[in-house]
Amino acid sequence: MSDAIPTIAEAARQIAAKQLSPVELTRACLARVHALDGELHAFVHLSEERALADARAAERAIMAGGPSGPLHGIPIGLKDIVDTKGIPTTCGSKFLQDNIPDTDAACAEKLAAAGTVLMGKLTTHEFADGGPSFDLPAPPARNPWNTEHFTAGSSSGTGAAVAAGLILGGIGTDTGGSIRGPAALCGIAGIKPTYGLVSRAGVAPAAYSLDHIGPMAWTAEDCALMLQALAGHDPRDPASASRPLLDYTGLLGRGIKGLRIGVIHHFHEVDHKVSEGTQRGITAALATFRDLGTELREVQLSPLQDWAACGSLISITERAAAYEEWSRTRLGDFSEPMRSRLMLGALVSGVDYVQAVRRRRELRAELQAAMTGLDVVLTATQPWEAAKIDEVPKWDLFDKPGFMMPFNVAGYPAISVCAGFGAGGLPVAIQLAGKPFQEPTLFCVADAFEKATPFRSQRPALVAARAAA
Amino acid sequence: MASDINDQALDYLLARAGLNLTAEQKAELKTVHAGLAAMAERVRKPRGRMAEPAHGYGFAEEDLA
Repeated sequence: MSDAIPTIAEAARQIAAKQLSPVELTRACLARVHALDGELHAFVHLSEERALADARAAERAIMAGGPSGPLHGIPIGLKDIVDTKGIPTTCGSKFLQDNIPDTDAACAEKLAAAGTVLMGKLTTHEFADGGPSFDLPAPPARNPWNTEHFTAGSSSGTGAAVAAGLILGGIGTDTGGSIRGPAALCGIAGIKPTYGLVSRAGVAPAAYSLDHIGPMAWTAEDCALMLQALAGHDPRDPASASRPLLDYTGLLGRGIKGLRIGVIHHFHEVDHKVSEGTQRGITAALATFRDLGTELREVQLSPLQDWAACGSLISITERAAAYEEWSRTRLGDFSEPMRSRLMLGALVSGVDYVQAVRRRRELRAELQAAMTGLDVVLTATQPWEAAKIDEVPKWDLFDKPGFMMPFNVAGYPAISVCAGFGAGGLPVAIQLAGKPFQEPTLFCVADAFEKATPFRSQRPALVAARAAA
Repeated sequence: MASDINDQALDYLLARAGLNLTAEQKAELKTVHAGLAAMAERVRKPRGRMAEPAHGYGFAEEDLA
């Protein structure tokens, strides 16, 4: 096989045509893991034997009857807060170093049923919060575009592993941007689906009412293929939505002429002004969307700070509740960033929390009204290119409101896609958000953008350099 | 960020939360109290007593239109 890293869609076509063997594909990914992960630290547990066994089983089944679907034989990884039967699930924490679940999380179960090859468990910030941490049993993941830089988190290992081609797709989780943030800084695609679309069963909580599970991959199309396998009602998750499944790739390639995109300029130009490189990426993206025939409209919402305050208060309080027992008895065993976040819970009153939840209803109604007559809205994903890993500010949530939290607060689906490269050649991104359960439209717009721009043809230089070594 | 919480109030809140912090951790927490207080102020709006919280919602048809 060629040294080029295929997308899931490309690999699926080649596997179906019997031009690519799942075993060869898996071996190529494993070779990249061995060549690169000493620098990237994307994996906390590499399940090499399981991967090869899955790949051989997929190959036998495909040779006998063809692939069961587009994920059959595709190497994937799971963030290490996703329970995996018989495989360590540490949540990046000292508390769970010996934890080996006896069941799979719903998302792991679904991806296995789709015939994927499980490569292993991927680095996460401790219990999907804070970070980067340098006092955990495993080191933080590094950005493949420049290993001195941060991946963002908390799905840090998934972002790094997908960008470097260690896996073709992976699972992330997103409470205030933990899928979209690393997707943006690692130059890949990542979607936080509508709240309730993907079951949270068997995944460690960060903040119950803001937590989402979703796919991260090189392209929006690949995310759509993964979401097809992941979506669906699950009675084990009390927030699981009971809705008919849609065809998530059904609108791809149909063009986006006539679609209406709302641009929330004030989020990234006034409320939290983005870097020059990010602004260039956004401006160029808007020009691309105009060229593709979409109609751009200005959207005005409450200040980003309002969304951030609402989401942060809910997140801080729900996390403090989830981990209260260990906070009270073993606070010193948490990593320094996680401990600091947990301490904040003491300063938020019950009334503060309920006021935040009341504000949440108002903000969601505001977004719903603003999206009337629109198909998607657009803003930044991250304010700037990836910072150096030892220069990540700790308390920026108070004065640098994030662009992703609004869609966790609202529960609306949102995807990050690469929009070019900024300072230091590091990726920049745009974020597109759609209406609840309208992921097919979101994928259609994101896919059209990716196909109209050259950014999917460039992988981190490190990948080629290590392959040649 | 300037602190606007005194030691006695902080100790009360920490005791209520069951957290046992070092002096250094308490000092750090004091530095972010003003930021959290500002967030708490932002979510308070004149909305009246009938305004419901968000949790327990279901998407209505208008969300999907």
